[in-house]
Amino acid sequence: MLKIDHMNTFIGRKRIIKDVSFQVLPGSIVGLIGPNGAGKTTIMKTILGLTKFTGNISVENQAVTENNHAALTRVGALIEHPAIYPFLSGLENLKLYSLDEDDMNHVVSLLRMNEYINRKSKGYSLGMKQKLGIAIALLNKPQLVILDEPMNGLDIEVTILVRKIIKQYAAQGTAFLISSHVLGELQKVMTNVLLITEGQIIVDKPIDEFNQVNHKHYKLLTDDMPATEQLLSDNRISIEKEDHYLVISRNDSYKIQDFLYKNHIRLVELTPKGMSFEQAIVSLVDQQRRQSHAE
Amino acid sequence: MTSSEMKAVNIMKTSLYQEFYKFSHKKITWVAPMLLLGYMALWIAYPMTRLMTMMTYDSSDAINLIVIIVGSTMFSMEFQNNTILTLIYKSSSKPTVYFNKFITIFVYDVLLHALSLAFTIVIALTIRPVAWMKVYRYNQPLIINMLSTTGIDVLTSVLIISLVFVISTMINSNAVVITASMAVVFFGEAISTDFMNLDSSLAYLFKWNPFNMTLLTLQYSNYPLYHETTLLTNLQISLGALAYMLTFLGVGYLIFRKKRF
Ligand SMILES: Nc1ncnc2c1ncn2[C@@H]1O[C@H](COP(=O)(O)OP(=O)(O)OP(=O)(O)O)[C@@H](O)[C@H]1O
Ligand SMILES: [Mg+2]
Repeated sequence: MLKIDHMNTFIGRKRIIKDVSFQVLPGSIVGLIGPNGAGKTTIMKTILGLTKFTGNISVENQAVTENNHAALTRVGALIEHPAIYPFLSGLENLKLYSLDEDDMNHVVSLLRMNEYINRKSKGYSLGMKQKLGIAIALLNKPQLVILDEPMNGLDIEVTILVRKIIKQYAAQGTAFLISSHVLGELQKVMTNVLLITEGQIIVDKPIDEFNQVNHKHYKLLTDDMPATEQLLSDNRISIEKEDHYLVISRNDSYKIQDFLYKNHIRLVELTPKGMSFEQAIVSLVDQQRRQSHAE
Repeated sequence: MTSSEMKAVNIMKTSLYQEFYKFSHKKITWVAPMLLLGYMALWIAYPMTRLMTMMTYDSSDAINLIVIIVGSTMFSMEFQNNTILTLIYKSSSKPTVYFNKFITIFVYDVLLHALSLAFTIVIALTIRPVAWMKVYRYNQPLIINMLSTTGIDVLTSVLIISLVFVISTMINSNAVVITASMAVVFFGEAISTDFMNLDSSLAYLFKWNPFNMTLLTLQYSNYPLYHETTLLTNLQISLGALAYMLTFLGVGYLIFRKKRF
């Protein structure tokens, strides 16, 4: 579907994106994740033929260049802010791009915009504008949809709706490239993670690989937590509190079980502690920073 | 629809169709012609009927003002509404975007001139009759004078449009670009005229400045008076206007192409 090969993007003389290669397959939902200024928006603009770049970008084996956008005819996009003419109604904004009225009406009702779609878009709220921007990107049964921070300004209910729609389209083969710095938003829909810092991709993996548990730490629950805490700190065993649990190192686990037994404290639960997706990402970004500073 | 058919339709739609669609949905597009007619109506009572007919009731100034106002927002509205990225990626390339905008405003300009012709003819047929076939200026009948003036004024206004395009590719804000365009065109004209009237020894060079060319319509309708200022013949001004128009359009295009969004 979308194939990117050794792409470098330049703004003025400065190289903003550095030798990036990846693919987005039909039906996959790729989350482009990274801190502010990492280059998410720039990557998306480059794919849309809007910046100076080197390397190869192709959609369905057809090359995209700055001066030829023929490959982009079935690509929908929302970059940074929704592209809306305030003097047109919502529907007129859609009509500008729509090739099929049935499809347009379908998108409008999917996003539940019927009530206000004929009103001038000048009077739309932030969320209504954002939805209209998403609607424009979804027009004409696109093969690829590029969404830059699509959940901006959307309430919980609409966010859930948009996630559902994205999954529906993906199930029919549409490929998605979606950026976000709010991880939770995407975690629920992504099939792949593309982690980027300082213009470089540092992780490109299916989401499943992130959900694996991390076995270095255990969560401990006993029938007398204050006493347990006291006991372990008296014995200079390092612990951390998390919710009702104490987090301990795996290496200490046998020793701890011994102490508990001798002190008549009953063990309620001792399980491997999973690392949340968010923690995994943060630690990866951290690692990358430390490496690049060390260089 | 096959995918290649869809592509063809899509490119067609994104090109001119979109530009016309947006243009025709803006209020100013429809308000401006009303104001134009109102302004022309003010001149009906003016005694020199034949001159007024030839000059289509002084429509030239009003049309210039309209194309400055309408033309200067053609680019800035795209920047202000964040539509520029979508506009460009959905079009086949940047030149298409630029020239579609030019074609749109050009068609509008021609329509405004047609409107002022129609208005003049209606007035001539009703309250201010004229002898169409009687020779008036340049040994030609009045009707030819009128049509030539209109044709020449299209050239003058396109020169102004091209100047506005250069300015509006450099400035992103609606309000600033309108102000700047008006200032450049009107002050430019005034400064050029003042300078030309100074009898400076540099006038032989300075007469080729672009603002001198914007006096073409006026000079055509009143050669003896304006030639003293411009020091150029009608043909020289016409060719100069054409050359500047192409230059400004080209420069505007280069700026637009280099622009980063
Ligand atoms: N027009 C520009 N001129 C100069 N530098 C730019 C320009 N646009 C972006 N940059 C730089 O490129 C880098 C990447 O910016 P980009 O907008 O792609 O980041 P991002 O990942 O989308 O960030 P955010 O999460 O804040 O949206 C930044 O360091 C930014 O300073
Ligand atoms: Mg961004």
